Amino acid sequence: MDINFSKEDLAFRDELRDWLANDYPKHVKDKMDKGEHLTRQDLVDYHKALSAKGWMGYNWPVEYGGTGWTATQLYLFNKEFGLAGCPPLLAFGVSMVAPVIYTFGNDEQKKRFLPDILDFNTWWCQGYSEPGSGSDLASLKTKAVKDGDHYVVNGSKTWTTLAQNADWIFLLVRTESTGKKQEGISFLLVDMKTPGIEVKPIITIDGDHEVNSVFFSDVKVPVENLVGEEGKGWTYAKFLLAHERFGIAAVGASMRALNGLKEVVSKLDNTDLDKKVAEIEIAISALEMTELRLLSELENGGHPGAESSILKIKGTEIQQGLTEIYVEAAGEYALMYPGAGGYGSNDKPSGPEHAAVSLEKFLNFRKTSIYGGSNEIQKNIISKFVLGV
Amino acid sequence: MNLSYTEEQVMLREQIQKFCESEYDFYKREDVVKSDRDFDEKAWSLFAEQGWLSMPFSEESGGFGFGPIELSVLFEEFGKSLVIEPYLANVVLAGTVLDKSNFADKSELIEGICSGSMHISLAFAEPLNSYEYLNPNSNLSDSNKLNGTKSLVLNGKNASKIIVSCIKNNSLSLVLVDQDADGVSFNSFRTIDEQTCAEYIFENVSIDDSNIIATGDEAENLLVEAINLATLCVSAEAVGCMSSCYLKTVQYTKEREQFDQPISNFQVLQHRMVDMFIDSELAKSLLYKAMLEVDSNSDDKFKHVSALKAHVGKFGKLSAQNAVQLHGGMGVSEEMMIGHYLKKMVAVDAMFGNADFHLKAFSK
Repeated sequence: MDINFSKEDLAFRDELRDWLANDYPKHVKDKMDKGEHLTRQDLVDYHKALSAKGWMGYNWPVEYGGTGWTATQLYLFNKEFGLAGCPPLLAFGVSMVAPVIYTFGNDEQKKRFLPDILDFNTWWCQGYSEPGSGSDLASLKTKAVKDGDHYVVNGSKTWTTLAQNADWIFLLVRTESTGKKQEGISFLLVDMKTPGIEVKPIITIDGDHEVNSVFFSDVKVPVENLVGEEGKGWTYAKFLLAHERFGIAAVGASMRALNGLKEVVSKLDNTDLDKKVAEIEIAISALEMTELRLLSELENGGHPGAESSILKIKGTEIQQGLTEIYVEAAGEYALMYPGAGGYGSNDKPSGPEHAAVSLEKFLNFRKTSIYGGSNEIQKNIISKFVLGV
Repeated sequence: MNLSYTEEQVMLREQIQKFCESEYDFYKREDVVKSDRDFDEKAWSLFAEQGWLSMPFSEESGGFGFGPIELSVLFEEFGKSLVIEPYLANVVLAGTVLDKSNFADKSELIEGICSGSMHISLAFAEPLNSYEYLNPNSNLSDSNKLNGTKSLVLNGKNASKIIVSCIKNNSLSLVLVDQDADGVSFNSFRTIDEQTCAEYIFENVSIDDSNIIATGDEAENLLVEAINLATLCVSAEAVGCMSSCYLKTVQYTKEREQFDQPISNFQVLQHRMVDMFIDSELAKSLLYKAMLEVDSNSDDKFKHVSALKAHVGKFGKLSAQNAVQLHGGMGVSEEMMIGHYLKKMVAVDAMFGNADFHLKAFSK
């Protein structure tokens, strides 16, 4: 047993650290370090800086312009970027729709969409959930009816992250209503500028405008924007969700949050909080080792399966747990949110700086145990595929 | 990085599993519990023959020089079958103290442990000195008279010699005492997890200079290292218990029918079993971390053993309580194995510092 990374992997880690020290856009870093909101342009700058380094296709095979990184390199990339407090990479283009396109799409689609994803010229969003279809995604009702060389799409999607910024959306639509609900689903790529699409903000409890409702009325989508075969969309959707798991444990980001929290709590002389911090630090260590165990299995030719759902469940419990302790550490200042500037403003309310950010994160991070397959769904998966009940 | 066990370690695990399955099922264990000596002499000789009693000792002492990883494998398997043989007392506690010491007579004693012919216990705990092992009240006077009381002397009844921690001239000493020496008395009792254990009283026991194993920094170091290793071992035992708890519970709920169906169909039970599975896997991960840190003798080894012990102290008990709950009435029946895991987890938490103690130690 050897827990040390190889010389090559350590050299790779140094390369990551070097980029983070020198090429991570300064204006983005400053805002992230202060816990301020990023603009659309900030996020574009950040992703384009990664593209310039050739790291945008971090989980793609080399033949499509990706890095071809090993599982260990991906792990280090995620961990180091998390430790450095970088914004999470927008997954919708590079790690959601792109693998579907290069795996199931035709050559024309690959040529048309992949280069712009690598260069971050197009911002993608995800059209999966609907008002009546959350965990039971296959019950979705948004309809696409073929009419000559177009599909006509009617319906609505919800919780669409950053749709207000997006150029394109990938959609799960129903092309067939008879038979099993998983059958008759198709996968469409839709230009957000198409007439008949309306984006309406949903403001979440932290006051942020992160998610949206997207309405489709008689939206005409050219048939060449269908990926793969009509009616096979469910297969592609599941394939995509498997890619979404990457980095879900967020060990690096949680370690960074923990370090900040320790600094805050160390000044308080509160043994109850000290104990909670110790417990969560142990949980992070356990999570990190669990991820390394799965990684070691992967690198040695194994196929860890539903065990990886542990990473989603524990990773998000820890992310939330950290914000909960931050809020406790804020004491009475926990009430002072959003402050004079109102929601979405970078004006801080009175009180220590960590207090305002704490509240916002606490509220925002409730999403983590809901998205990406809710933690209850993850438990169903473990129950079925690991415990066999 | 490679977190797979070596072929040798896998073989060791298989050997122990084979022993537990064929020679140490729950009924056999019950017989051992009822026997006079509270351990199985036949099993103990087998342990000696297999070389398990020599595992952690250095090669010059006649051992295999195996480290914390092999010991963890052994204890994880012992945990699954709730083996109550006095391995911890003899090999891990007394044995490694002797092996790492400069004590002149150590080879003979270690040989005795390896061959299974001699039992030695380490008396480190005291009634009023919970988990503060470096400051015992037991005292060795200028004229080498030992006075004091030692609690939780594991396997104390069977030990012909006891290594006793005591203070002489403000510094820690470890001394070797014969069970039948003048002034030594003990009460033997059984622990909640069916181990045999004794409380020893030493009244003006004369200690010859030649029976002082170590003093000062050396004594402290020997004790701290042995306790840390033993803490790792009982934690590994707990990890084994935790995996048995969820596996046996899954099995039971598949067989038990109520409302015309196996109770494993009920989601509320499924999710509770998933929680047990997750806590068990996390415990296993912390075990990997701790044993690797101890193996490389890193500065952080105590910290990571504390992390593991704090986790199994809390979640081990929780898992076992859930196992009992999901077994319904069977869970609280003495004749069923499942309730005995709960007793084991309570014992593990109480030994060498409980969850709260190790949380504090971890954050120091």
